[in-house]
Amino acid sequence: MSETGLQVQLRQHAPIPLDAELACAPGELLALVGPSGSGKSTLLRCIAGLHAAQGGSIRCNGDTWFDAAAAINHPVQARRIGFVFQSYALFPHLTALENVAAALGGLTFAKRTARARELLARVHLDGLEQRKPAALSGGQQQRVAVARALARDPAVLLLDEPFSAVDQVTRRKLQQELARLRAHLNIPMLLVTHDLDEARMLADRMVILHRGRTLQAGTPDEVMTRPQSASIARLVGLHNLFEGTLAQDGGGLKLAWLGHTLEVARIEGKPGERVSWVIPPEGVLLHRRERPSRGEAENPVPGIVQDCLRLGPFTQIRLVPDGGGEPIAFSVPTHVAERNDIAPGAAARVTLLAESIHLMPWEPLAEARTE
Amino acid sequence: MMDWSAWTLSLKLAAATTLVLLPLAVLIAWPLLTMRSPVRLVVDGLIALPLVLPPTVLGFYLLVAFGQNAVLGELYRGLTGRSLVFSFDGLLAASIVFNLPFAVQPVQRALEAIPREVREAAWCCGMTRWQALWKVELPLAWPGLLSAIVLTFAHTLGEFGVVLMIGGNIPDETRTVSIAIYDHVQAFEDRAAGILSAVLVAFSFVSIVLIQFLTHRIGKKEQ
Amino acid sequence: MQAISWRRMLVALSLAASALTHPAVAQETPNVAVAANMSAAMPAIVEAFSKATGRGVKIAYGSSGNFRRQIAQGAPFQLFLSADEEFAEALAKDGHAESGGAVYAVGRLAFYVPQGSPVGIDNKLKDLGSASADGRLKRLAIANPELAPYGRATREALQHVGLWDGIKGKLVLGENVGQTARFLTTGEAQAGFIPLALAGSAELKARGAWSTVPESWHAPLRQRMVLIKGAGDTARAFYRFMLEPQAQALLKQHGYASP
Repeated sequence: MSETGLQVQLRQHAPIPLDAELACAPGELLALVGPSGSGKSTLLRCIAGLHAAQGGSIRCNGDTWFDAAAAINHPVQARRIGFVFQSYALFPHLTALENVAAALGGLTFAKRTARARELLARVHLDGLEQRKPAALSGGQQQRVAVARALARDPAVLLLDEPFSAVDQVTRRKLQQELARLRAHLNIPMLLVTHDLDEARMLADRMVILHRGRTLQAGTPDEVMTRPQSASIARLVGLHNLFEGTLAQDGGGLKLAWLGHTLEVARIEGKPGERVSWVIPPEGVLLHRRERPSRGEAENPVPGIVQDCLRLGPFTQIRLVPDGGGEPIAFSVPTHVAERNDIAPGAAARVTLLAESIHLMPWEPLAEARTE
Repeated sequence: MMDWSAWTLSLKLAAATTLVLLPLAVLIAWPLLTMRSPVRLVVDGLIALPLVLPPTVLGFYLLVAFGQNAVLGELYRGLTGRSLVFSFDGLLAASIVFNLPFAVQPVQRALEAIPREVREAAWCCGMTRWQALWKVELPLAWPGLLSAIVLTFAHTLGEFGVVLMIGGNIPDETRTVSIAIYDHVQAFEDRAAGILSAVLVAFSFVSIVLIQFLTHRIGKKEQ
Repeated sequence: MQAISWRRMLVALSLAASALTHPAVAQETPNVAVAANMSAAMPAIVEAFSKATGRGVKIAYGSSGNFRRQIAQGAPFQLFLSADEEFAEALAKDGHAESGGAVYAVGRLAFYVPQGSPVGIDNKLKDLGSASADGRLKRLAIANPELAPYGRATREALQHVGLWDGIKGKLVLGENVGQTARFLTTGEAQAGFIPLALAGSAELKARGAWSTVPESWHAPLRQRMVLIKGAGDTARAFYRFMLEPQAQALLKQHGYASP
């Protein structure tokens, strides 16, 4: 196990069950993603020292911060962490400058003030140092919170859904700033969020949490296009979840589904084995009526359009394949939908890209599909 | 026509009680924040007891505990050479016990009104729990502290039953304003009693208005 | 009444000035526990003492029984003027008071009827019995016999004329004779028994009528005073003063007999 970065394993039954394991290297931003109640905040608070789990350990850069078996539990203050709360938790009676300076306890007044000013400038709040939190906008308060968290030169930066309380536009700006800021930070950073897009945007790696258990860790791309199980697929918002059987066909192993035989780029197993499989919307291509192409020979699937929903420049389509079963969801530019007469009840054909089909161990789909 | 000595005594008692009780209230309310039930329920109940206890009951128990032949009384006499009954010292001790809920509860409420995360943020900044109390929690809880001060002061001024039982009616030592009023009434000195009462009512009214104003402030902070 | 209050305030002010500090200093002006029946006569005596010796005392009025208990528990009184002999002697027996003491006055009991009361007044208490029987008397104010010797005397007197048992249910007890007197002026009772000294005081004189209860109907109200152990010079001086002609004359004016 490497001696740098953060290594965490925690277990408890109550009050919130946890069975989590994760690691975060210096300079890496790890997103903790999961639905509400999945224990993400609890996990973060354990790492911070605000809560002691019943079992497990937390190590940072070789220091053991927590070890239930050895009865080690360093208090919050000793752990040198930077924490950005969901509600910012600024001190209402202090100015922005004083808020940041509050984290610089060990220095002289002059040094504290200078350093606090510097940090506020870094988050683009110079000029607003003397304002109290009540006189700052949500986005500005968030920035003060970040500056304060970074003031102590923390060993770890923890962010608990830091952008959930601001509007869309401000959120975009703050996310961009965080992306820029983190480039200069060489410490492990943990970001708790329920927003998959945010995770995809900001994180180097992400971990899916469900009912306190860490299910899969990997780059956002990996987790969201190649989930390890149907449940994870559901958690990361992949709707095209089907079941099939492996079949021997001619020279190789293929996927049998609703009477079709599908080519799959990465396939292994035994013929007759049941599998669950998923395909992201990007892997589904509509056959154009006026311009048939060679690509259409790959995994063609005919069907009837169940519904199509125009959302500005794109139209989301759900196609019920011939042979019945759950619809396939995908989207096309609106002008393409119009030109191909896509409407509920119309017939259409799609290609399922072999490269995009991802196989997983079989799981009863009804359970996996329920939100 | 004012009983200056009774006023001096009452004001001295109120001031002394408040001065002692305020830090005590903070020291009691603070750990209560993190205490879990059922212990918390028991402690809350004990603190609130003087609110419902008849003053004579409290007076009786204090008399038993502070009396010359009781452990506390003898201990005190040994330490300071003074008695805990029929003395200002005894009144102060009784007053501190009797005013406990008036001091602790407003402080408790004000501290509870501070969001948990603000406290935790203080710890994350490297402040010890003590530093967080001093630099973050108490400054934010000031309406509650002020409430505690005003309530304790006003309530002490009005105490009668406990003072009578444990202090007797010793001029300049335990004859507070409320006792003096009782005295005047019995001696047919209605005018003197009337003046003392009027001033006490005015004082109490001002205190109540102040409390309500401050409670409003705490309420606003909780939003 | 105005004049007396003025002087009382002056006395109180000068005492207050010296009493703002630690009680130890207050030994110069000792605390004297005085039975409530003396509240009419006491101010004049204190004033006379102060004129004669240049020293002052701080008076607290209450029931003799209460004082007996408080002093036993260490209340800082240096001299106790009881309304009887029993309570004073009990303290001497306990060892709290210097033995003996002296009888400083003999009190008389008065039957008092406030203005407008339906009860008739006479010095054989003839109407009292009928008033109680026919409902004109709803409440009779007496001092608590357990705490106040004058209350005890009242009970003895009523028992003597055979009225006690019938009237027991209509009693309203005052904690001390001062409170009892108050009940009579506020209309809480239609009749009552208070010390003669109080009945003759300005406030009560103006509000009703009274008759003296025959001495033979109760044990004599010999009022004894005792010095508490550790009493200072001023307390002793006051003790002596109480027995001197000047004080005794003032007591006689208020209806007390010499011991």
